[in-house]
Amino acid sequence: MNERMNVERGKINVTQLFFCVTGFVEGSVLLVNFAVDMTKSQTWMAVLASIAVAIPVIYSYVALATRFPGLNVIQINDIVYGPILGKLISLYYIFFFALTFSFNNRDIGELYKIFIMPDAPMIFFLAAFAVTCAYAVHKGLEPLARVSHIIVAISFTVMLLIFLLLIDIMDFSNFLPLFDVPLISFIHSVHVITAIPFCESIAFLMIFGSLDKTEKAAKYVIWGLISGGFILLNVAVRNTAVLGNTETIWTSTSFESTRLIDIGTVLTRMDLWVGVIQTILIFFKASLLLYALATSVAQILGLKSYLPILLPLTAIEVILSATVYQSPVDHAMTTQNAGIFYSTPLLYFTPAITLLIAVIRKLPKSKRRKRS
Amino acid sequence: MIYVLTIYTLVAIINLPPLIKNGQKRELFAFIAFFIVAFVLSLLYAMDIEIPSPMEGLKYLIEDFMGLKYPEPK
Amino acid sequence: MKNTAVKIATILLMITLLFGCLDGRELSELEIVVGIGIDSADDPDSIKLTAQVVNVSQLGLSGSGGDPDSKPYWNAATTGTTIFEAIRQITHKTGNRLFVPHCEVVIYSKDVAKQGLYKHLDFFLRAIEMRLTSFILIAEGKAGEVLDAKPQTEELPAVNIYNLVKSYGFTSHLYDVTLKEFSSRLISEATAPVAPLIKVVQEGENKDVQVMGLAVFKEDKMIDELNMDETRGLLWVINEVKSGVLIVPTPEESGVAVFEIETAKGKVKPEITDDGKIIMHIDIKLQANLSEQTTAEKLARPEIFEKLQDNMSEVVVQEIMSAYEKSSKTGSDIFGFGDMIHKKYNKKWHEQLEEDWEEIYKTIEFDIKVDSKITKTNLLKNPVTQKLGG
Repeated sequence: MNERMNVERGKINVTQLFFCVTGFVEGSVLLVNFAVDMTKSQTWMAVLASIAVAIPVIYSYVALATRFPGLNVIQINDIVYGPILGKLISLYYIFFFALTFSFNNRDIGELYKIFIMPDAPMIFFLAAFAVTCAYAVHKGLEPLARVSHIIVAISFTVMLLIFLLLIDIMDFSNFLPLFDVPLISFIHSVHVITAIPFCESIAFLMIFGSLDKTEKAAKYVIWGLISGGFILLNVAVRNTAVLGNTETIWTSTSFESTRLIDIGTVLTRMDLWVGVIQTILIFFKASLLLYALATSVAQILGLKSYLPILLPLTAIEVILSATVYQSPVDHAMTTQNAGIFYSTPLLYFTPAITLLIAVIRKLPKSKRRKRS
Repeated sequence: MIYVLTIYTLVAIINLPPLIKNGQKRELFAFIAFFIVAFVLSLLYAMDIEIPSPMEGLKYLIEDFMGLKYPEPK
Repeated sequence: MKNTAVKIATILLMITLLFGCLDGRELSELEIVVGIGIDSADDPDSIKLTAQVVNVSQLGLSGSGGDPDSKPYWNAATTGTTIFEAIRQITHKTGNRLFVPHCEVVIYSKDVAKQGLYKHLDFFLRAIEMRLTSFILIAEGKAGEVLDAKPQTEELPAVNIYNLVKSYGFTSHLYDVTLKEFSSRLISEATAPVAPLIKVVQEGENKDVQVMGLAVFKEDKMIDELNMDETRGLLWVINEVKSGVLIVPTPEESGVAVFEIETAKGKVKPEITDDGKIIMHIDIKLQANLSEQTTAEKLARPEIFEKLQDNMSEVVVQEIMSAYEKSSKTGSDIFGFGDMIHKKYNKKWHEQLEEDWEEIYKTIEFDIKVDSKITKTNLLKNPVTQKLGG
């Protein structure tokens, strides 16, 4: 069993991992809008509940990676499940990475098409964005990890600024009545929020292999989760407080609430900031996803490096993003249903089961015995 | 359409020679395989031929076949 | 060979970026709209849309250098069955699409309001270019005329109207209802939407616009009006009174004392008693100063102040009750009491009150406490009068 590393020799440290996870989770900051349909003024509760649900799940990812230090999940699958079953399960992962990148790419494409440049054809945005991500992945994991500090710093500052600017329009009685929403809708909302910002970080299973020290990884990853979740909470609270009962009619609640900033007739039309921040954040998230896709495909094919297949994969992804949904409405409706169910076995159960089997078969130990 | 052809030719020109020179057979093989898939898909897209989306299949599988669907929000 | 390929690729990439220019609209192509008016047209299904477009070249010239008859704006009007259709039809007259992001007011005529505003509201909320912070007004008469009344101190009528609504705080006899506020009230099943009323007043040669009072809606149809005092009654309760003039009878009833409101705060607490009665506890704190008195009484004495404060509180209570009585005749919950009860008594609201809220609204009892304080009397301590004795 040859473990051929596909990433460059560069390593990332745990602090960078923390910022990467935070930036990744923040990438779905406009995603909170999808959950508002179901939980309306209680979306903030759904965010908190999702953080709670996601923590053990993410912990299973980190635990799995810690058990097999220096390896990525494709390699781990081969070891735990054997060559054939392992490859099948790895295919499920690859399928997920491919589809998720196309969803995120489509997210940003739709954002630009609807709000910023309605007359340009969407394929233009999809291609431009995907190529930019490909460029980032081409440079490798280390530059992305280094950039994550700045991205998180900028996004935190802007988000807090927008929140402060909106404080006098906020009406905190919009949070009452509590517990008005039926339980099934609440569960639906928690499912969506857990699956999309938090559990899509299963992509990190391809990145944990590049950590220089995997012992303390769990703490940093969980904290990254919580700080990313804090921004999501910020968005949920802000949108409910500002828009009140009009929350459910808008295509994008974040845009509308930021539009209402009107201070001194100078600070208006701040919704541009939301667009900019979202672009930066999704770029970061999508680059990490593309990295996961490229390295996993390269690994499963036994290639020495993912660089050659990067461009063709990106091109396939662009076409996929262009055809995967018919319209933004289709996107929203599907994401709330089939879009989260197809990945549920993978995100919630597969890493945990892999870990369990590894423990039962005492796997890394036999590896260590093999080496010596 | 011409656009698609040009871009793909350019990508091939930039990427192929190094691979052939270094004799990385596996990488070359993978590159050509994905390249062809991407090329065909792009051509189809540029010619406005409808490409089926995997989500349609998944949606059918999950919602109609397995019946896993949340009730519509109010 | 490879280098050439890279160069060509880079050039192609840069050309691709030019796609973004598709959306560029040059300044000279923009028809900047500052106000929109909706009237009913001759055809019962259509509406007449008047868009006030800024004539950039004439702006700033009227009166001083340019032709005194030219206006710095022009009102383009078209008819159509829906708003978006009418807006696009205007390109028949202007040759360019309207540039709506600067639209500050949307004025509906009373007939359109009485027929229902749903149809005519969707576009303004859905259009990306519109601002949610534009004001909604209901015009007595034709909206197009309101937009034509050339104001004396401001160049563009629409901007003038915007300023009028924005400065509601000076009298608190109207309320600035933005598109967002209006839709929020519309979405809520219990609360009745309101919008300020505007009309054209002809004084000799000049046509001026006057904004005061509120129109009350049931769902999206206008059914009632509130006059100035009733409007202020509403504003006391929803804590939106900024300033204004209170005319209070003096203790000896020989004239009136006129107060300027300095600050006002209103708090509402709903209560449902055990036997199902709904009581609204309204707590108003207000500070005012004596600005004018029409009698020779010496009012600047503590015990007289006490009585004046009581009278002032009476006036406030009267305004609030008059607002309530007017609105309860039609069962329109303008105060938002229904939503307040929903927030506090969730279960009871859903089980008992939600269905018949219109009827139940008429049975609400009030417990109003007004705490008025007179803070100063400005420059005069005693009135100018021959009777200096006391």
